Order: sequence, then C-alpha cells, then structure tokens
Amino acid sequence: MTTPLLKVENLRIELTTRDGVAPVIDDLSFELGQNENISFVGESGCGKSMTALAIMGLLPEKIGRIASGSILFDGEDLTKASPARLRAIRGNEISMIFQEPMTSLNPVYTVGEQIAEVIREHQGLGRKAAWDMAADLLDAVRIPNARGRVSDYPFQMSGGQRQRVMIAMALACQPKILIADEPTTALDVTVQAQIFDLLRDLRKDTGTSIIMITHDMGAVAEMAERMIVMYAGRGAEIGPVEQIIEHARHPYTKGLTSCVPHIVSQLTEDRARLTEVPGIVPGLKDFGKNMCLFASRCNHRTEECLSARPPMKPFENGQIAACWHAEDV
Amino acid sequence: MSQQPPPIEEQIEQARSPLSEAWEMFRRNHAAVAALVVLGLIVIGAIIGPFLYPTDPFEMVWAPFSPPGAEGFLLGTDYLGRDLMAMIINGARVSLIIGLAAAVVSIFIGVTIGALAGFYRGILEEILMRITEFFQVLPTLLFSMVIVALFGASLPMITLAIGIVSWTAVARITRAEFLRIRELEYVMASRASGVQNMKLMFRVILPNALPPIIVQSALMVGSAILFEAGLSFLGLTDPNVVSWGQIIGSNRQYILDASYTVTIPGLAIFVTVLAISLVGDGLNDALNPKLRSR
Amino acid sequence: MADTPNTPLLTVDKLGVRFAVKRGGGWGKRAFLYAVDDVSFTVNRGETLAIVGESGSGKTTAALAVARLTAAYTGSVKLDGQELLGLEGEELRQARNKVQFIFQDPYSSLNPRQRAEDIVREPLVSLTDKSGAEQQQIIDRLFAEVGLRPEQKRLFPHQFSGGQRQRIGIARALATQPQLIICDEPVSALDVAVQAQILNLLRDLQSELGLTYLFISHDLGVVQHMCDSIAVMYMGRIVEHTDRLSLFNNPLHPYTKALLSAVPSVDKKRRAETKRILIPGDPPDPVNLPPGCRFANRCPAATDVCRQSEPPLTDHGGYHRVACHLVNDSKTAAI
Repeated sequence: MTTPLLKVENLRIELTTRDGVAPVIDDLSFELGQNENISFVGESGCGKSMTALAIMGLLPEKIGRIASGSILFDGEDLTKASPARLRAIRGNEISMIFQEPMTSLNPVYTVGEQIAEVIREHQGLGRKAAWDMAADLLDAVRIPNARGRVSDYPFQMSGGQRQRVMIAMALACQPKILIADEPTTALDVTVQAQIFDLLRDLRKDTGTSIIMITHDMGAVAEMAERMIVMYAGRGAEIGPVEQIIEHARHPYTKGLTSCVPHIVSQLTEDRARLTEVPGIVPGLKDFGKNMCLFASRCNHRTEECLSARPPMKPFENGQIAACWHAEDV
Repeated sequence: MSQQPPPIEEQIEQARSPLSEAWEMFRRNHAAVAALVVLGLIVIGAIIGPFLYPTDPFEMVWAPFSPPGAEGFLLGTDYLGRDLMAMIINGARVSLIIGLAAAVVSIFIGVTIGALAGFYRGILEEILMRITEFFQVLPTLLFSMVIVALFGASLPMITLAIGIVSWTAVARITRAEFLRIRELEYVMASRASGVQNMKLMFRVILPNALPPIIVQSALMVGSAILFEAGLSFLGLTDPNVVSWGQIIGSNRQYILDASYTVTIPGLAIFVTVLAISLVGDGLNDALNPKLRSR
Repeated sequence: MADTPNTPLLTVDKLGVRFAVKRGGGWGKRAFLYAVDDVSFTVNRGETLAIVGESGSGKTTAALAVARLTAAYTGSVKLDGQELLGLEGEELRQARNKVQFIFQDPYSSLNPRQRAEDIVREPLVSLTDKSGAEQQQIIDRLFAEVGLRPEQKRLFPHQFSGGQRQRIGIARALATQPQLIICDEPVSALDVAVQAQILNLLRDLQSELGLTYLFISHDLGVVQHMCDSIAVMYMGRIVEHTDRLSLFNNPLHPYTKALLSAVPSVDKKRRAETKRILIPGDPPDPVNLPPGCRFANRCPAATDVCRQSEPPLTDHGGYHRVACHLVNDSKTAAI
C-alpha cells in the first residue's frame, strides 16, 4: 500500500470527569488508505465517536484532550496543528455527518442557504455561484427536483432527505475523508439502503475515503473493506471485514456478530439460541486499568486476562486482535 | 477450554434514594450550603429567640433613638423607644410565617389548577388557563391592597392576599410539566396497569413534576416576604404584630435622623431573601436531572 | 394457561384508528389521518405475531389500540372471545389484566420515583385483590424469572442498565399473568450486545409460561428470530400477512420484497443472492392519500390499475394474505 491518507498512532485521549481523568481512547493505532472505507464497530460508550471527534479536532473543550500519540493526515500531524489550521481542514478536507439529521440542520435557514454558506466559507465563491453549486449538490445526492427544493426549510423535508442534505453539505468542498457517525441509525431500512447506495456511488465518483461508525455488523459487511472493533476505548480487533466476520479472533467481535439475529439466504424452522454477551460496558472509571477490560463479560477469561492488558497480536491474514487467547477463539 | 473462568467480584449498587442523591448534588453548590446555614440560623433564631431574649417588642424600654450598642441595647431603640433587637427577633417569626404560608397558599392553588389543566386538556385547560392569564395581568400590589383594604389587615388575610396574587407562575410551570410527563411511557404503563386518574395525577405525574415546582416555591417564600414588607411599608399591616416590613414602615419618617432603624430591618430582609434565593438555586441544581451525571 | 394451542386468542377485525389534524392555517378544515385503516389479523395461543413496518406505518398505533391505550373509531378487538372495544370502568379494568405492554424505551417507561419492586407491584395493586404478602411473593418470583437479583428490588430505575430496566418492564408486564403481551420494539433502544439477553429471555418466558406475543418491530432480523407469523404494514394497512418461512423465503408483495432486500446482512451468500430493490421517493401524504394502492407511487411494478383502485388483502393459498393487484403478474414476480 502507498502511504496512507490518515495514520493514527498510539492515540490517547483523556476525558476529565467528576471521578478523575479517564483515557476514553487508549493507545489506538490504525491507518486509512486512499479511497478506502473503514468502519468502527462497538457498543455505545466504547470511544467510536470520540475517535472521530479527535480527528476533526472537535473534542469537548476543557474536558477532553489528546494526551499522547499522533494523527497524521497527508503527512501533517493534526494533534499539533493550530486551531485556525484545523478549522481550515475541517469541512474542507475532512468532513463529518452525524446521526441525527433532525437536529443537525439549522431550522431557521433554507437548506440552500446552509449549503451555500459552507461553500462560500471554504471556497470563497460568490453568492450566486455558491447557490448554484448548492442546487447541483442536492441533485448529486439525488433529491428529486433539486432546483425547486433548494429553497426549502429543513422541516419541509423527510428524515432521509435531511440526511442527504447533510451529505451534500459534507461533500461541498470535496473532502478527502468523510466521517459518517451512525449516518442511518435514525432512518428506516429502505431509506438506509438509499443512503448507503448514495455513499457507495459518491465514493466511486469522487474517490473520497469514508470512516463509518456503526453498531450494525450487516452495514459493515455491506459497506466497508476493513473494520476496527472498539471496546472500552481500546481497539479490540482490526482487520479485513470478510475475514473478521468469518473468523473473529476476539471474543467481543464474535459476540457482536452472533448476538444479533440475522436474515440468511434461506430461513429454516431451526432457530438457534442467540449468543449472549453478559453484562455491560465498564464505566469510565475502569478505563485504563492494566487488564483486559472485556474480561468480566468473557467466557475465555483466565487469570492472565485480569492481570495484564493483552497486546495486539497480528495474524498472517492481516487480522490483529487484542486478546490473550486470540489463537483459541 | 474446560478451565473455569476465574470469578469477578460483582459490584452491587447500594439502594440510594433520589433524596440522598439530591443532597449529594446540593452539597456541591457551596454558596447554597452557606445560605442554608444562614437560613437555618435565622429560623432557629425566630423560634427560640423570643425565649432567650424575652423583652416585649411593644414595650417602651428606653429613650427613643438610642443608637445601637448604647446602654446595653444591641441594636438600639426606635422612635417610640422600643428595643429594636426584640422587634427584629419577633418580626422574623411573622415574616417567615407569612412567607411560608403565602407560598403554601399559592402552591396549593397553582398546582391544582396547573395539574387539572395539564392532565385533562381540552376545554377545561382552556378555561383554567384563561383564568390564570386574568390573574397574571392584574397589577399584583394594587390587587392585594384592595383585598386587604376590603377584608381587614389581619395576618391570615395578608397571607391570603399574597398567595392569591402569586400562584400563576406555579400554575404555568405545573401545567407545562404535566403536558410533558403525561406523554412519557411510564405514565402510559401506569395507565395500562389500570391506575385511576386521581392516582395517576397525584401519585405518578406530580412527584416527577415537583423539582421545578419546589425551586419556584423557594423563590416564592422570598418574594412573599418582600411583598409583605411592601404592604407593611404602605401601612397595610396588622398593628398587633411586628414584622420586618412594619418596622421599616413605621420608622420611615426618621430615616434621616436614625437611619439604623430602617437599615437594620432592611438588612434582615435582604439577608433572608438572598439566603432563600441561593438555597432555591441549589435546589435547582440538586433536583434538575439534566445536570446529574448519568 | 394456554391449554389449547393453535386456537385464536386475539382476533382483530377491521380495526381503524384516526387522528384529527388541522390543515391550512387557523381556519383550515379538520382532516383525518388514518393511522390504522381496515386492519384484521389473529394471534394464536402461545404464538407470536410480529407486525413490521417503517415509521408511520401505524404498527405501534395498532398495538396501542388493541391494548385500549388509544381509541379506535371502528372495528373489533376480541380477546378470548371478549370484545375489548367499548368496555368501560370496572369491565375495562378487568380486561386490562389480560393484556399487558412492554415498552420500547426502558429509560422513559419506568417511573424514576418508584423503586423497582414498586414498579412491578403497580399492576397488582391496581388490577388485583392480592394481599400484601401475596404481592411480595409474586414480585420475588418475577424478579427471579426475569434474571434480576433480589437485592435489586429496592433500587431506583436510574441505578440499572438499559437491559436490566427492560427486565423490570418485562416483570411488570408479567405480574398479572396476562394472556396477551404486546412488545413494542422491546430491544430497539438497547445496545446490540444486550439485545440478545432480552430476546432470549422473551423466548424462554414464552416456552415456560405459554405466553402469546404481539411483537411490534422495524428490525426484520429480530422479527425473523422471534415470530411465528408476520404482518407487514405500510401506511396504516397490512400489505402482506403470512407465516415466518413464507414471508422471508417467498415474499409476494413488492414492498415486502424491497424491505427485505434493504436489510444489510453479514451472510455472504445472501448478499450475493439479493438484488437490492431501491424504492425511490417518499411515502404519500397520509392525510391526502391518493386513490388506489398506497405503495403505487414507489412501486417498480405499478400499473394504472394500482393507481385507481385499492387492492384488498386476499389469501393466496396457505394463509398467505397479500394486498396487491399484481401478485400473480410476471412483472411483480420478477422484482
């Protein structure tokens, strides 16, 4: 592979809470290639969104900070970039779409004004040119009658259309990386299919790399080449999607895949009991302990798991798993 | 693997009541805690003060306009030679009682009307809210003066007058909370469990609507004390009791000659109302679930 | 309970729920939104019927109407032979005993001011004449049944995790030994890893206690795992209704096909087999429904007939009911 577009190395993000400082991201490393789709998977509270915010330079002020590690984007370390530089990159070269399309648009401006605003801010186009481009973008994200809908207000659009407006806004400056944080969680499945279809086509046309955050293994299987399974702020498993789904090396990944009932090609009367992952994600105060944080929910648990944090074990096929018993899983 | 996984100690959460958690949050607000201490001292003083300092506040004990500290009178004497210390102590009782009682009256009216309007909706809500608006646009001081002037300046009547003019805010808050909470699933769940309307209103919804009502009530005790002071200042007061407002009202002509006769009771009102406000602020922090972590 | 399986416990016939909406400013005419329109189905004893559909399909409204938590304007709901619509006062209270509800959001469905055991006790107090000791006995048994520890009885809802809260909700629903339990998206608010715990629990309870479920969900994977038969709703109507295997392996309605094809799957074989059917556009305005089939404007197979007359829900053999003019048409079969 050529030099990666984004390279995150040993990233550690600390969050100050009432009970002290907790590493919400603890020693995370990964790479994102040109025109690649990588997915972050895990339960809520595992640090998926926090990673995205760190890349965007949008960590909660005063509470969160990058303690160590680096985020290399096109060779530039974003952890050392000035706020002005980050602002220039944000929206221009890395943009983000959020989970809730209902609240991420400003209700008092038309969607055209909001898209044009982004274009004028980052590309210095005139009012008229920006407005035209906004209409083109709405057309590109397949909003029917885009010329007419550009002066609609957000409330006049359905949830799926609003998410498309968000995508149009994110794409306004042809970013190199698009971060999608649970982009379809709030949408119906048929609308989700439309959005996925759109993202796939956009990637083909523009060569944008996509970082998708989700909890749906099915969505990962359909959209991404590689995935990163996060657990309690740490990478549990990284590798090619097909291989991980076929044979997970981390018990948590295995649990995530088999705890959800899937629709398979030919259903039979036979319904196996779902695999349970007992318990819940540990609280922030337990983050950073020198042990396997998944141990309390794991049936492979041994003394070793409780006494030291497992290293990232690489396998020949490119899978990397942080488990003392990865070979046995 | 056949090996039995080593056990993990399970943490069992302690059963803590929301009350103890609220206290936990309240304690974080240092100003509120200090204010609570001050308020506590004022209340204790009002209760046991008259026994520790049994001077009759209506009795002429010394020459008029003796300044504070003179002749063993800590706060001096007023224009009739009455002991100001005794008046402040006895006045505290009256002021606090009026404040509390007026707040209770207005909460009773406000919660009842707000709860009925928010729970039953429809035509009843329309009628009740129009009534609320009617009371809201009345000039409060004038209206309470009219009541007191018509029915006599006795303590219960003054209390009632203050309560009647200040319940509208409570009604609006209660209604808003009821409108929000009645749509929540646990209310639906209670309905599915066959809970009767009255119980639904006062046992299920009201306890959850209480936090903003409690905060509002705390502030109302303060404003009722001020209101009473205002009425007393205008002479609309029960002449048989001492209250802080009444001390100010009766001494107001001598404000230039003996300013302490006005400033001391004024200070008492100021400190009390400020303490109540700060405690209300602390209650807001303690009872607002949004500020609570988790 | 459930002495005779495979006989209908719940029979819903031509159920309709509508809401008045204001249209066109202050003086606008009152119009109706038909959230549930001419819906009929039966649920057999000891079985699970799933109602699936996307937002706005009316699936939750239908369930609320069955439980008498929202008012139906027409139709009939018979539970064990007894008509529920129209019951008032004491009779309604008696009937509520037999139908209980498990809610979607375990965070808003428990009263934050009540202790766990009091939440479970509430239906016992309101709906039964059980003594305090009997109530306590039932609560203890229910806590064990849903997998909560006895020392958690005195805790308040916010001290539980989402999965545990849903267990409390389930215990509450079981308290009066209802004949029918309506599960309204019982796991959609939970984290994926926790969903399995609740789904397994619901299935275990069903086989132990012979429960009958009406299961409302938008998640076809979950539905596939939980149900015996399925009704697919679109814009207030049932478009397809049949048993589990027929629906998933041989869907007949174009909407069902599109819906199934839209579900992302981890199964490589299924991904290779399914052709994604994208349905363009949005559903029609529910207040101003077009004549004809409600799906016609998005249906890849729609013809003039579809735009003119509303297709009835008819049986196409083996209780596979479909509301589509073109079921036997080669064009529909091709999509």
